[in-house]
Amino acid sequence: MPAHRTDLLQGTLDMLILRTLANGPMHGFGVSVRLQQVSRDVMRVNQGSLYPALHRLERRGWIQAEWGNSENNRRARFYTLTRSGRKRLDAEAENWERLAAAVNRVMRPA
Amino acid sequence: MRPIAALLGMFRRRQGGGRDADLDAELQFHVEQQIEANRRAGLGPDEARRRALIDLGGLEPVKEACRDERRGAFVATLWQDARYGARLLRRTPAFTVSALATLALGLGAGTVLFSLTDAALLRPLPYDNPQQLVQVWDTNRELSIPRIGVTTGNVVDWRRRTRTLSGVAAWYVMGRTLRTDNDAVVIPTAMVSADFFPVFAAPAGRGRTFTTEETERSLFNSAAAPVGTDPVVVISDRLWRGRFQGDPDILGRTLSLERQEFRVVGVMGPAFAMPSESIDLWIPWGFPGDQPRDQHYLQSVARLKPWVTLAEAQSDLEAVAAGLEREYPDTNRGWRPVLVPLHEEIAGDARRVLVVLLAGVGLLLLVGCANLAGLQLVRATARGRETSLRLALGASRARLVRQHLTESGLLTLLGSGLGFVVAAVALGAARHWGAESIPRLSEAALDLRVLAFALLVATLAGLALGVAPALAGVSAALPVRLHETTRATAGPGPRTWRSAFAAAQVMAAFVLLAGAGLLVRSYTRLLARDPGFDAERVLVMPIFLDTRQYSSGARTRSYYGELERRLAALPGVESVGGATALPTSPLGPDFERPVWDAALARDPASERQADVRIATPGYFDTLRIRVLRGRGFTAQDSPDAPLVLVINESLARQIWPGQDPVGRRLSVDYSTAGTYPYEVVGVVGDVRFRGLRSGPRPEIYMPHAQRPYLVLNFAVRTTGEPEAMIPAVRQALREVDPSQPAHSITPLGDLVRATVKRERFAMNVVLAFALTALLLAIVGLYGVLSYSVRQRTQEIGLRLAIGAQRRHILGTVLAEGARIVVPGMVVGLAVSLAVMRSLRGLLFGVGAHDPPTLAAVAVVLALTGFVATYLPARRAARVDPLAALRHE
Repeated sequence: MPAHRTDLLQGTLDMLILRTLANGPMHGFGVSVRLQQVSRDVMRVNQGSLYPALHRLERRGWIQAEWGNSENNRRARFYTLTRSGRKRLDAEAENWERLAAAVNRVMRPA
Repeated sequence: MRPIAALLGMFRRRQGGGRDADLDAELQFHVEQQIEANRRAGLGPDEARRRALIDLGGLEPVKEACRDERRGAFVATLWQDARYGARLLRRTPAFTVSALATLALGLGAGTVLFSLTDAALLRPLPYDNPQQLVQVWDTNRELSIPRIGVTTGNVVDWRRRTRTLSGVAAWYVMGRTLRTDNDAVVIPTAMVSADFFPVFAAPAGRGRTFTTEETERSLFNSAAAPVGTDPVVVISDRLWRGRFQGDPDILGRTLSLERQEFRVVGVMGPAFAMPSESIDLWIPWGFPGDQPRDQHYLQSVARLKPWVTLAEAQSDLEAVAAGLEREYPDTNRGWRPVLVPLHEEIAGDARRVLVVLLAGVGLLLLVGCANLAGLQLVRATARGRETSLRLALGASRARLVRQHLTESGLLTLLGSGLGFVVAAVALGAARHWGAESIPRLSEAALDLRVLAFALLVATLAGLALGVAPALAGVSAALPVRLHETTRATAGPGPRTWRSAFAAAQVMAAFVLLAGAGLLVRSYTRLLARDPGFDAERVLVMPIFLDTRQYSSGARTRSYYGELERRLAALPGVESVGGATALPTSPLGPDFERPVWDAALARDPASERQADVRIATPGYFDTLRIRVLRGRGFTAQDSPDAPLVLVINESLARQIWPGQDPVGRRLSVDYSTAGTYPYEVVGVVGDVRFRGLRSGPRPEIYMPHAQRPYLVLNFAVRTTGEPEAMIPAVRQALREVDPSQPAHSITPLGDLVRATVKRERFAMNVVLAFALTALLLAIVGLYGVLSYSVRQRTQEIGLRLAIGAQRRHILGTVLAEGARIVVPGMVVGLAVSLAVMRSLRGLLFGVGAHDPPTLAAVAVVLALTGFVATYLPARRAARVDPLAALRHE
């Protein structure tokens, strides 16, 4: 059973994927590894929800997919952030900042 | 593994191929990378693979989720389910056709009946503020007259003295002869008072209605009265479009009615249907000055003032009537008006019929849906393995339930589409068969209201069809069932459901059969009732003689004498006679006058009311009305001979109980014609004048020679088929006076049957519903039991192999059938006892709980139930144990 150490907030996964792809094109497995590395295993992304999320973002036009060769020269589907995806990421990041700050103020009153 | 591969193949086929291959490759890549990573972390190859798949949460669920995301989920899934469902429906044509037929018929019938009910009962009348309109009747408790028309004299005073009514319209209906160049027809005409159109607040569709002045100068209420100058007329939309072909210059044209030119001033809109839908002409009719208060021949509708309640208006008008009673005790003693909301008056008895029919169609729909739900359940169970597989592969239960619901939704959608077509056709048929049984039929249409109703019913049917099978099917399909063989027994859930559905069908069929049985018995009794006359082989024709041409009694007598001779001379005619009004014939003056024994003084104790008929000598013979004592009329009863009368049994009993009336003298207050004593020369049998349901009324007959009357209904008794004589009869009429047609020429039998038309309509419809329900119930029962036998073939084989008796197996299945039929019948009986009371108004001579009918229904259901059970039971008993076990 995949253990969720911390459940992701609704909608947070989309933002994290967009943020990950902001560094450059990446395939699904790469995104999943990267997310786990960055979050240092605190937060394990359920791979079962990763791919649906990728397809969702693609349908919305925030990321684009095309087939390319992976590091070990296998065919893999690479995702790239689109212009509207970048805008979306900016908006979500700003939102997140505001939300995080607000939650912090509540949790640790000065 | 083969079925799984096949199933995967099926899944794949229904996705667009390329995209799915992409998804497969993408996930494949992910899994391989993860396996590699896991192996680098030190796991064995198998474990590495296992972990990789577990982390992903299974390939299929992820794919399914990705597909959902890609399509914008909801709509796409719906479309996908619908296509899948459509394919399934195509693959089982027998199920699909029967399901669609059931839905189409059930919904179609329901929609039509709702449309009729809506038009007759629910929809407001198409007049301004229709709730203010009330029909006014006169009643007299002292004379035990429950309901009769009102009088001109009283209407004038009601108008003057009321505080609660803004207008009191009055009219009477007659036939007027419209002549064109070479043709003459009798047109149903309403002679209407000045405030007739204002009371209905009905403007003309073209032109205008009458001015007060036009009404006041028109005096038509007496045959001899001079006709006012420049008479005017308003015509119906139907007459304008039909006879005048929608002539745009109709206004100002003149119509020749009884040799006088009437100027057309207006055409009413098509929706205006007062006093009835058959009226084509409205002629203004003034009744100024002193008017009689004892001739109750007027129909009347009044309008309540705004904010006045029915009760207030009723007590106001009663107070007015009490005042009139004090002022005119001779004519007004005991008379009180009664107000009935016009809407109720028009809907009348049709309410009962329609409510019964709606309930019937509801039950039928219930049976149909229960049947389909049962069938769906079989399919759901048959698809148990598919369902189990899909659950195992990660489909959520909600998703599968949704799939089932989409399928039944698709079925319902198609079925209701067809149902609407059926409704459109059936409405045409109802217009034909239901005419005269249902008021305001012309207003019935498949409009938005009806559409909304149909949609509501269709939705309910769809849910009924989908929910239970979906839930039962999915919950029964546990993952564990993958291990079972294809002939695994159904879980207890669906089987219980199916039995319940079958029992519900038996119940509804019982109720419908009971209703139909009661209606059939009652109708047969009605038809078997002796009407007091013989209507077979009799043609009747109402004749309204032209008031101007036949202005004297002598002329009228000579016309009818000549007509009688010519008709009697026709080959194939047995006898000829006429009377002012014929039993069950709607056209002709039907009025009553006070009568009393001439040997006594006139007072309330001696006075009785009797219906007056004026008849020719051949009348009693032609209608085969029995002459019980004395004689009928003869040629000797001439204008110069002493005045004579024939009375009927009922009146004889009232005036001279236990004595022979022949030779005694009866006084009749004949109003305008004066009050005289008449010698009673005969007593004839009672007739059911107002149809088979009605009771006899006290009657007097006067010889037409002594009391010539312009209107006569001629009756011709033929030796052969009456219809065949119609052309010859029409020719005879033309020969006597080409400008004087009969209103219509109809077999009297048709008119008699028309008095029970509503009963027949209700009976036929309920009977059709009941037989359909019975058929569906049998099919449902048979389906449940054969399915159950098929499911248990192995068990039965095993039991036979270890020594069970075949008749024991037979008994087991029969018992299973009985467990469905008996509770269904018991509940059906209980429901019947509870609801049949609502039929009471329609029934004649049969109690609502008529034990023979209920017993017959029980026997019919038990027998058909037994047959439906016996066939599968026999199959079960014939199971070959070896064959059944070898299948394992």
